[in-house]
Amino acid sequence: MPNSDEHGLDSDFVAQLTQHQLALQMYVRSLLPGDAGASDVVQQANATIWAKRGEFELGTNFKAWAFSVARFEVLNYRKRQARDARLVFSDELEQIVEAELAGMDLRLQERHDALRACLENLRPQDRMLLLHRYSSGGTLAEFAETVGRSVGGLKVTLHRLRSALLGCVERRLSVEEATS
Amino acid sequence: MNRDELRSLIDVALEGGLSEADFLRLEAELSVDPAARREYYDRVLLSTLLEAEADAEKSTTPSDGAPIRLSPRMPSRRWRWAFASMTVLCAGLFAVVAWQWWIQPVAETPDLASHTAAAELTRPGISGSEQQSSGYAILSGQVDAVWDEAASVSTGGIVAPGELRLRSGVARFELFSGVTLVVEGDATFSILSPMEVSVVSGKVRARVPEPAQGFRLLTHAGEVVDLGTEFAVNVTANRSEVHVLEGEVEWHPAGLPAQRLKQGQATQMTPEGQAAFDANPQSFVGAGELQRRIMVQQQSRRERWKLSMDELSQDQRLIVQYRLATIDVAKRQLPNLVTRDVDRASEGAVVAAALASNRWGDAASALDFSPAGSRVRLHVPGEYQNLTLIAWVRINSLDRWYNSLFLTDGHEQGEPHWQIMDDGRLFFSVKKRDVWDMSKGEKDKHIFFSPPFWNTSLSGRWLMLATVYDGANRRVTHYLNGEVLSLEAIPDEYLVTAIRIGDASLGNWGLPERDQPRFAIRNLNGCLDEFNLFGAALSADEIRRLYDDGKP
Repeated sequence: MPNSDEHGLDSDFVAQLTQHQLALQMYVRSLLPGDAGASDVVQQANATIWAKRGEFELGTNFKAWAFSVARFEVLNYRKRQARDARLVFSDELEQIVEAELAGMDLRLQERHDALRACLENLRPQDRMLLLHRYSSGGTLAEFAETVGRSVGGLKVTLHRLRSALLGCVERRLSVEEATS
Repeated sequence: MNRDELRSLIDVALEGGLSEADFLRLEAELSVDPAARREYYDRVLLSTLLEAEADAEKSTTPSDGAPIRLSPRMPSRRWRWAFASMTVLCAGLFAVVAWQWWIQPVAETPDLASHTAAAELTRPGISGSEQQSSGYAILSGQVDAVWDEAASVSTGGIVAPGELRLRSGVARFELFSGVTLVVEGDATFSILSPMEVSVVSGKVRARVPEPAQGFRLLTHAGEVVDLGTEFAVNVTANRSEVHVLEGEVEWHPAGLPAQRLKQGQATQMTPEGQAAFDANPQSFVGAGELQRRIMVQQQSRRERWKLSMDELSQDQRLIVQYRLATIDVAKRQLPNLVTRDVDRASEGAVVAAALASNRWGDAASALDFSPAGSRVRLHVPGEYQNLTLIAWVRINSLDRWYNSLFLTDGHEQGEPHWQIMDDGRLFFSVKKRDVWDMSKGEKDKHIFFSPPFWNTSLSGRWLMLATVYDGANRRVTHYLNGEVLSLEAIPDEYLVTAIRIGDASLGNWGLPERDQPRFAIRNLNGCLDEFNLFGAALSADEIRRLYDDGKP
């Protein structure tokens, strides 16, 4: 029955898309660093990927395919922005990024778990500051205004927190490696 | 581009604040360097994950139940954020350090591997739990300082958390964040974290290096956030001054809008209000001035010590006096500086030990006994009823069962052994008998232990250790820095009235014999810059005076 086949395919497809959601977000973000529109582009890419699910060949690399669709959405987005001054990485660099991110095992789930644990280790105020920054969506200047701090001081603070978190995540992962 | 610069650049890029020039630099770096791309991916991923976490948090936390509300009208918000930022460094320093410890739990046994042949004779110094200390700063120097908490502050020591009152004099602190504070008495203040200091009253000058930018100083009138690099405050009950000596600060006066103060600017807050004026660096003791005063003070202390030592060398009770500053480097010899002629001990022959700085910072004026086999060999003739041993040492660690101070070769009847146990107890004994019957509960000697006086927070600090064997009054007293550690009666059956020394070693024990080259590792892991041996029992007052004359 074509319908059940289709359902079966669809649920597989959804599983794949869900599994690679973080990688997809990461990829788009890496092409649009600091661009507030990145999450919209991801949503648009998801919609397009879903619409084109018939074109995906089972057994081929889903991530690479999803990335190529997303890349197309990134280019579309830039066109819509129609801003000459937009800072865009060279084509060569973008291709390297696409190939590397598609081919790399990022251990996303482990990293996500490690990050959660590391966040728990921060003081509540630090955790709040970071998460608030990432849910606020606005520019750093706007955020600084909201929390009543200087942009410079905040920049330093956030940078340190991020570095501490990254260090923590790496160590967690290497410990897991060593003990597993 | 170095790693730190790259990381900062990436973070700025991800915040959306990158200039075109920096963007091109970043692009160039990412294009050629796979490791740079790896950094980039890590940080992009972190942002992505944090955003996911932030979304999750938002959907699970009711908006009015958020732990911190960010309403701009909330008056205490700056204080809250002050505390938030204070934890940044804790995250940066302590969390990271803690992680490192966590993944390398056995990394704290440094010396053992290098002595593999004899390592089995020693016990690895791993205790059940991680060693810890408490505090945010060390007291790195002081001149004429009078403290209310004299017991808890000493030069070179970690400052215990809590409020401090400096009645008079000047003190310098080095916070673990890299911030240097110069505090002038009369001052009351607390070091709240490596990144935050609260000043109730007094003059405090802060120098803030780049990695500590964001350092905060709190006063009742408001709070200073450093943007680099040097500022000072003068706080009294109803007036607070902030002077920017170099760089820039953010000043958050209580109840007034925040403002930036630049180099040369100053402001004061009084009940009448706020007023600007010119910064006056001269009204605060600077790092250079303090250093000069510390040097002057140290110089005068050193002179006093030399005079005291010269005087002591005339003391007819003295058998040995080695001042390591007088070492003959070419002959590897230590002259015995005592002046008496009878039963004079020999000069010291230096073996293996390396030259080091003494407690006054003079080069080649101390011996470091940590190289394997290190010792000073000497011969002490005569018999003594009483004995006083005094050594100035700087211990790195007590990582062996026995850490030698002064021991006779072998251990025959009448011979003393002076050492430190791995748990920090001073050990002194004089052998009573060469033959004893264990079935009758007999021992060869009685060991006089002090309570543990040492822990790793004393590592690297100069200490005066003294032990007095008073056979006439039948008691043994141990001293640390002129203070009595313990006093114990000599049990009658273990009293020795004729102490003999003969051939002996400073900083190690014994010599391996022919065909038996194995020996226990007992050399002191540390330095010595003075040793005095008396054939008499010095009084507590005399010990105290020697410490006062010799303390750096």
